[in-house]
Amino acid sequence: MTSIEAYAAPETVEDAAKLAADGTATIFAGGTDLMPQTKAGAKVFSQTLLNLRRVEGMRGAIEERGEIRIGALTTVTDVLKNELLRAAAPVLCDAADKFASGQIRNSATIGGNICNASPAADMIIPLLLLGAEVELVSWVDDEANWRLIPLKNFFKGPGQSKLRKNEILKAVKFRTPQTDFVAGFVKFGTRPALDISVVSVGIGGQLNSGVLTNARVAFGAVAPVPMRGLETEAVIEGKKIDDKIIKAAASKAAAEVAPIDDVRASAWYRRELIQTLTGRLLRDVVQTGD
Amino acid sequence: MTQDFAPKQTLIGQRIPKLDAPSKVSGSARYLQDIELPGMLHGKILRTDRIHARIVSIDTSAAKALPGVHAVLTAADTPGVPLGFGQDNPPLKGDRVRCTRDEIAAVAADTEEIAEEALKLIEVEYEDLPAVFTTSDALKEGAPVIHDKHPNNTPFTYDYEHGDVAKGEAESDVIVEDTFRLHFVTHCCLGVSGIIADFDVEGNLTLYSQTQMPFLYKRDLAPVIGVPAEKIHVIQPIIGGAFGSKLDVYPFEPICVFLAKAARKPVRIVFSREEEFLASPTRQPMELTMRSGAMKDGTITFRDVSTLHDNGGYTSWGATTPFVMMQAFSSLYRIEHCRYKTTVVYTNNPYSGAFRGYGNLQATFAIESHMDKLAEAVGIGPLEFRTHNAQDAGETTLQGLHLQTCGLKDCLSTAADRSDFVTKHAANRAGQDGPTKRGIGMASLFHVGGGAKIYHTDGCGTILKVDDYAKVTVLTGASEIGQGSETVIAMLVAEELGVPMSKVSVINNDSEIRPWDVGVHASRTTFIAGNSAQRAARKARQKLLDAASAKLDVAVGDLDLRDGQVVRSKTGEQLLDLGKLLRALHFREKNEIVVTSEYYEPPSVMQDREFKGNVSPTYAFATQVAELEVDVETGMVNVFKVTAAHDVGRVINALGIEGQVEGGVIMGVGYATREHLLVDDGYVTNPSFRDYKILTAPEIPEVDFAFIETMDPEGPAGAKGIGEAPAICTAAAIANAFYNATGVRMYELPFTPERVLRALKTAAGEQVG
Amino acid sequence: MSFKQEISFTLNGDLTTASIPVHMDTLTMLRDVLQLTGTKLGCGEGECGACTILVDGAATNSCLMFAVDCDGRDIQTIEGVQTEDGLDLLQKEFVEKGAVQCGFCTPGLVMQGTAMLNENPGMSEDEIKRGLEGNLCRCTGYTKVIDATASAMAKTRGEGQG
Repeated sequence: MTSIEAYAAPETVEDAAKLAADGTATIFAGGTDLMPQTKAGAKVFSQTLLNLRRVEGMRGAIEERGEIRIGALTTVTDVLKNELLRAAAPVLCDAADKFASGQIRNSATIGGNICNASPAADMIIPLLLLGAEVELVSWVDDEANWRLIPLKNFFKGPGQSKLRKNEILKAVKFRTPQTDFVAGFVKFGTRPALDISVVSVGIGGQLNSGVLTNARVAFGAVAPVPMRGLETEAVIEGKKIDDKIIKAAASKAAAEVAPIDDVRASAWYRRELIQTLTGRLLRDVVQTGD
Repeated sequence: MTQDFAPKQTLIGQRIPKLDAPSKVSGSARYLQDIELPGMLHGKILRTDRIHARIVSIDTSAAKALPGVHAVLTAADTPGVPLGFGQDNPPLKGDRVRCTRDEIAAVAADTEEIAEEALKLIEVEYEDLPAVFTTSDALKEGAPVIHDKHPNNTPFTYDYEHGDVAKGEAESDVIVEDTFRLHFVTHCCLGVSGIIADFDVEGNLTLYSQTQMPFLYKRDLAPVIGVPAEKIHVIQPIIGGAFGSKLDVYPFEPICVFLAKAARKPVRIVFSREEEFLASPTRQPMELTMRSGAMKDGTITFRDVSTLHDNGGYTSWGATTPFVMMQAFSSLYRIEHCRYKTTVVYTNNPYSGAFRGYGNLQATFAIESHMDKLAEAVGIGPLEFRTHNAQDAGETTLQGLHLQTCGLKDCLSTAADRSDFVTKHAANRAGQDGPTKRGIGMASLFHVGGGAKIYHTDGCGTILKVDDYAKVTVLTGASEIGQGSETVIAMLVAEELGVPMSKVSVINNDSEIRPWDVGVHASRTTFIAGNSAQRAARKARQKLLDAASAKLDVAVGDLDLRDGQVVRSKTGEQLLDLGKLLRALHFREKNEIVVTSEYYEPPSVMQDREFKGNVSPTYAFATQVAELEVDVETGMVNVFKVTAAHDVGRVINALGIEGQVEGGVIMGVGYATREHLLVDDGYVTNPSFRDYKILTAPEIPEVDFAFIETMDPEGPAGAKGIGEAPAICTAAAIANAFYNATGVRMYELPFTPERVLRALKTAAGEQVG
Repeated sequence: MSFKQEISFTLNGDLTTASIPVHMDTLTMLRDVLQLTGTKLGCGEGECGACTILVDGAATNSCLMFAVDCDGRDIQTIEGVQTEDGLDLLQKEFVEKGAVQCGFCTPGLVMQGTAMLNENPGMSEDEIKRGLEGNLCRCTGYTKVIDATASAMAKTRGEGQG
């Protein structure tokens, strides 16, 4: 008893874009987010159910022209095991390791995690550190239409992004990190992975002699969207990371996040955690990097 | 020719795999959820979205008109006889709702989807009433009255006393007093609640039920559904966990019967997981104030306790937990003077049922926190202080509980030795650098070990038959809820009859053919059903040995049964195949078959009006030591080891008893550090495994266990019950370890990270948001 | 009525076809349409793992997978685990090591354990624990499940060498 009138599992991106063109499709890949949302009545099926999982060429990571491109259908398990990513962007694999459970990692895709636009999404934080962009495709006027949006500008609110109804997220890409790039991700929960983050923190940048440049900081579950910590970045940018800077960065982090009270934690506690974890992570990132 | 015969092998204490494990690992075991009867409909219940309200009207016409719907019921269609321990809970509420679970209508339809659709079409008009969510508010003058029958919102009080507390106070060198707050938690059985009701043409009712007490269930259900008990046939399919949650009758059960009757078809109700969180029982939350004292030499002088129990909107078994709590207050350690007052208070919160340990987790949390406080106040180590006050076998506590055996001192020393408690405890207190603090803490427990005589009988029946092929079938009153009772019963029988385990089958799920039993509760099944089965087997053994003696012309005293043979007891020489003996008895010599029966009644008594008397034939003791780390900057508590020394009388199935201890300890760790059913103004706000966190595999501590075998003279093969004990004192040990690590004592469970950080910061005088 | 789709896939080694509503989850298809009730519904939200099956060899929560997505895939459920002689090695270890109490979570644990053993026959104890993180068990406290998995792994390796 749903309003679904058609089901499609296209094998090419173009076909998928065509099927999505009228903006009436409910799109899924792994289904691990859509299924519980529809069961709970939080999301209603539209008339076409569009399964992207059979689209070819959208799974896996490749490096070309100084960029790493991860197909949207790459599962979290794929990310965790991918040799290229393990070598070039281990922070992403680390986040993948803290994602849900083995069963869900096998189904859930990186594209799905981005499109679901949860403020607590685990994969988004490291992608923000990596300066990722999302590649969106749509079928307009009989041709494929592409656009790129920086991930940091992609989210609008909980569950809301700039993805249009007729668009498919095809890939996420970022410049291959330089050899001096260091990054870390920490997710606070009582379990190693099977937890919705109470908060998460990511810190990255180029580290030379204890100085962090092009610093990026990102926070999860402390704002309506996964957020970049621009003010915290400013505190650490170009600085030698010593105890004083660590303390200042931790305080700034706690000040710039905008958490809410919910069933998992109070805003007060989230702020406390952001402060503690930012300090610890910054120390770790710098120590591990050196 | 001489032959070597092996000496007699005993099954007792061996590691015997559960009899039902092969069907469970292969997926062929059929749970209630897996049973589909021909023509079966699916029932769904409409629960109120209000907390306290008068029902003005219910319109079910649109739901009734939906194709595929066979029955839509409201209270008006039912007899309205209330159920539950307090008989204050009508299955469907017609005039008023009192808590978030309240059932106001039910639908039977061809599919679950249609039934759910129909629920959405039911329109209910309410008039909200003022609600009350704390016991203290509910006791205030002018508080909203939840049940008119109890204008003071107090359906029960319990008063217990022995000795003279005032005298105890006068004798005390130190006195401590604190208020402890215990929270809502719930069972989280992996298999959710459900039932199938099926009437035959003559009005006989078959219930496929998950109940833990099939015989009392018939008695309790009959008046509510208007079907005489003798017409109710209870079949228990394999049960996906119980832990006490299936001790009472709950509204969904009679509702399913009403639907089956109205639709004239079998109906199945199976909860969703969310519904399980919202509408299955909880552990009873309470506020507990304890005052206790000690003399300088370390002797406890008195314990004075009062509790306010949040009873929720109705009275299920949760209201009777004081009965068990008072045993811990009166009898965990030697207590000269003890007083305990309980007030059970109605609120508009969810209501609680029975849950493994039955109030004792709450009681022990307070008692054992105070044991550490008193020890510290008089300057004696926690181990020495407890040992000084521990009882010995042969004592009778001042509540009249007779300790035929008592391994408490052995439990204390064993747990302490195995965990190197004394050294670590002192070292941790000396201070630790860095944000991660280690702590070690101990706690003991006292619990019934062989049932509790709360009815005029606490017995269990067995019918045992040995067929022509020496196959033994045991019809036991006991129920299997996953705990392994059927395997223990089979072991005890196999041991008596000298047959291999493969020759014994246990029938334990059909009320028509098996004899009466109270049910699975109060850690009684191994003890009582075990004794019953063992005695039935002894009768069969006697009959077989008598027959063999006559046939072989060997004195009965010189014969034994081993490996399916009649043997000469001294040498083990095999004289006669048991099957041959049985066939001879049956077809040639006497035309007799071997069928025996037994109703075992334990030598316990119902307590008097002052709650005194030996309510259980034996008592379980244990000491657990918890080791943990506290991250004082995040509040994260990581329990990494629990050492558990349990007086179990005697180990019967080593594999089973280890599983009970490991599972119970982990449940206790979850209770103390993770689990919290959040109830906000009467609404449950975390009804999912995502936000209600039971422990997962990577979080578990190492569990080191030792079994103290005190060989209970009344127990089957010397055993005591173990089912509840392992979960009881874990939280208390963790609380003491937390204090050892941080120097801060927490009086409120659970120790979830945010609450811990708040407590630490508050203790340090910092401001918290 | 709901829009239905014909799908065909390999189920426990046999080619199987089914006509199912497109919004149906795989668990419901297995249990209600194909009458394979060994796979359990514990939560329906991917939190408990009782519904774990193998999809092209990868452990998957069948409650979160659209049944239509089974089309063309290789699906293995608990019913497909036994060998001709009865229980397979991991199942036997679950029985022998006492890893089963109420048993409701057991089929999911066996499936997850099977996938783990296939993937990495050299797991450390911590890796086994992490591997089981998506499967909730309320009875056993996991220790004996971990023991059974480790023991099956040791025996598999032993057989490989022998």
